Amino acid sequence: MSTYRNYRNSFRRRIDDTFFIWREEMKQLFKDEGVIIFFIVVPLLYPLLYSWIYNNETIHEVPVAVVDDSHTALSRQFLRMCDASPDVRIAYYAQDLDEAKSLVSRQLTRGIYLIPSDFETKVNRMEQSTISVYCDMSLMLTYKAIYQTAMLVSMQMGQEIQTKLGQHYTKREEVIAAKPLDYTEVPIFNPSGGYGSFVLPGVLILILQQTLVLGIGMSAGTARERNRYRQLIPISRPYQNVFRIIFGKALCYFMIYALMGAWLVVVVPRLFHFPQLATWQPLLLMMLPYTLACIFFGMVMSCLVKYRENVMLIMVFVSVPLLFLTGVSWPQNNIPGFWQGASWVFPSTFGVRAYVRLNSMGASLSDVSTEITILWLHTFLYFWLACVVYGYQIYLTRHDAFWRYREMMERKKAKEKEKTVQS
Amino acid sequence: MVVFPIMVMVFFTSLMDDGLPTEMPVGVVDLDNTSTSRSLVQKLDAFQMSHVVAHYPSVTEARKAIQQNDIYAFLYIPKGTTDELLASRQPKVSFYYSYTTLAAGALLMRDLKTISTLGSAGVGQATMRAKGFTDGQIQAFLQPIRIDLHQIANPWTNYNAYLSTMMVPGMIMLFIFLISAYSLGTELKFSSSKEWMDMADNRILVAIVGKFLPQTIIWLALVYCYEFYVFYVLQFPHVGNTWMLVLLGLIQVLSAQGFGIFAFGLTPSLRMSMSICSLWAVLSFSMVGSAFPVMGMDGALQSLSWLFPLRHYFMIYQITVFNGFPLLEAWFHFAALAAFMLLPWLVIGKIKNAMLNYVYIP
Repeated sequence: MSTYRNYRNSFRRRIDDTFFIWREEMKQLFKDEGVIIFFIVVPLLYPLLYSWIYNNETIHEVPVAVVDDSHTALSRQFLRMCDASPDVRIAYYAQDLDEAKSLVSRQLTRGIYLIPSDFETKVNRMEQSTISVYCDMSLMLTYKAIYQTAMLVSMQMGQEIQTKLGQHYTKREEVIAAKPLDYTEVPIFNPSGGYGSFVLPGVLILILQQTLVLGIGMSAGTARERNRYRQLIPISRPYQNVFRIIFGKALCYFMIYALMGAWLVVVVPRLFHFPQLATWQPLLLMMLPYTLACIFFGMVMSCLVKYRENVMLIMVFVSVPLLFLTGVSWPQNNIPGFWQGASWVFPSTFGVRAYVRLNSMGASLSDVSTEITILWLHTFLYFWLACVVYGYQIYLTRHDAFWRYREMMERKKAKEKEKTVQS
Repeated sequence: MVVFPIMVMVFFTSLMDDGLPTEMPVGVVDLDNTSTSRSLVQKLDAFQMSHVVAHYPSVTEARKAIQQNDIYAFLYIPKGTTDELLASRQPKVSFYYSYTTLAAGALLMRDLKTISTLGSAGVGQATMRAKGFTDGQIQAFLQPIRIDLHQIANPWTNYNAYLSTMMVPGMIMLFIFLISAYSLGTELKFSSSKEWMDMADNRILVAIVGKFLPQTIIWLALVYCYEFYVFYVLQFPHVGNTWMLVLLGLIQVLSAQGFGIFAFGLTPSLRMSMSICSLWAVLSFSMVGSAFPVMGMDGALQSLSWLFPLRHYFMIYQITVFNGFPLLEAWFHFAALAAFMLLPWLVIGKIKNAMLNYVYIP
């Protein structure tokens, strides 16, 4: 008896129990096809799919219709220069604006350049002449391509006209007169302005959280449904201590997600040549609290939601809003305070911010120390919250078991009584 | 069932309430520090989108500030800019902006570019005025060709009108997918499927129509409520008429329900069908091609985009409602949505079989 008591709370026993729970959880995960989808298949395939979608990064050769009422050398020069630009392709020459409009309505072109009949006359008269640009605004990127190309070409042609009119003596003087103050624009971090390089880092980190929470929720749901009494925690001996359960389960999820995390943040960006400025040490220091925070967050969610399908409803539903709340698509300072507050609940908000800055902007660890601190805080908070909700589950299990036991005993007694009465 | 879509509706429309991001933090590295350079900075601050929050002593410091998420862009004015400007030696200013947040970067780039061009034009203007040219002449000389931009149907470049009109219907469709599969799956899960089939005398068509008609009515109410809120309360631009909106809402709900039922019919298990629905729906936010256009994707993906109901919804919306072109121009997408609506036809036998014979295994 004394040896048993020694074993009961010994260090050895704690480790044994933890590993028992870890093994059971592992077994259960690989038996459940729903969990396998979210733990293995989605994290492996989705990044590839998304990278494939955004791999072309920028759009080129946006088709444009042209209505050239001027028919002069100058108007043709404008069109030639637009056509030669990388972003715009002159696809159709229309007779009038109505015909051009019908081309837009049939999705054959995304915009119209209209050159009025007095285009060259006005230039020659030294008046300001106009070119009208009509853009289909349903796609921002095509609008940008069409408008910016027209802007660039008109400025370039304008400079040529200026230098002809300027009556300067030297070439240098002409250049300075056209542009007294020179400027360069330097897009830093993601210099090509690629769409994939911009959105993908955020998506990768978000995938990690969403699949983790979904997977944990699913596996908890399965555990509930397989259990005879629809409870999350079985009544057997290793499952009596909260910490052992949480450590055992978290270890199991962490082992899988250490691999998945490495795949998401190291391999996928390399495969598709997305910008990658961070070395492995800062990435590791950032991913560790993030993965842990997500695991405990998932465990809390799995206890709060009764049916596993409901976890799916909620998590799938919040995934797109979460991406917006990270401040990647919509500038962070323009997110209303209320939603900023709501976004603080999710580890992904800080995980994405830290990862984007480490990986795409080459920030150092000290630059993202706030985010990493908050991630550790999340880990800590959600760990204790997980302890509380799991503790409650254990209480429920024991409570029910106790009453079932009482009922059983009473029934037995009643039967025995009946027997004695009969005999 | 109704709470989530309404939450999303409020979320997106309130998130982008301003239409365009305003007052984004910008830094300045002004090593010249003269009245000319300061007036440039003041002009930049006066722009609606830029807000000069800090001055930095060097480019390195400013770059660090971007990495720390304090600013999105900065303007660099090197020492001696004004001197060189007055001596006609063509000095050079630079502006740096981060494209890791694409919208912020692109919009700030526009402001910074305008400022730099203005700086140039200011000098030219002063010189020409001194020579005695009129304002009209000066303008014609500085900008001989002007671009007259017409942003059809969204003249304010309002991001709310551009993004919310795709995101919110997408979320509603996602929800319809999931709930349709869910409500069929729970019949199996709580083993009430035989009861349900009994009520319809084992006629699966009657059973399905009976089950989904009330849902259709709720979804329609929700979609019309969204359309009313967005197009009449918030006054989002729409050139197309009201009947187009009604028709669009109807085909949106029916095709999404069709897809949800079809997904359940493919794998008559609750969690598999819900997984398919959610994975498909989440992908459709990328395949819809509203942020990154489908024409920029690989050829194979362009064809695959046909398999996503949201893509067809978006095309019909932008052709007939946003731009107000006739429905005929979107006939293909309309037919595709109709096909999605009829998809359950293919699996109806399988659903019947599942409902009568399957036993739920957790």
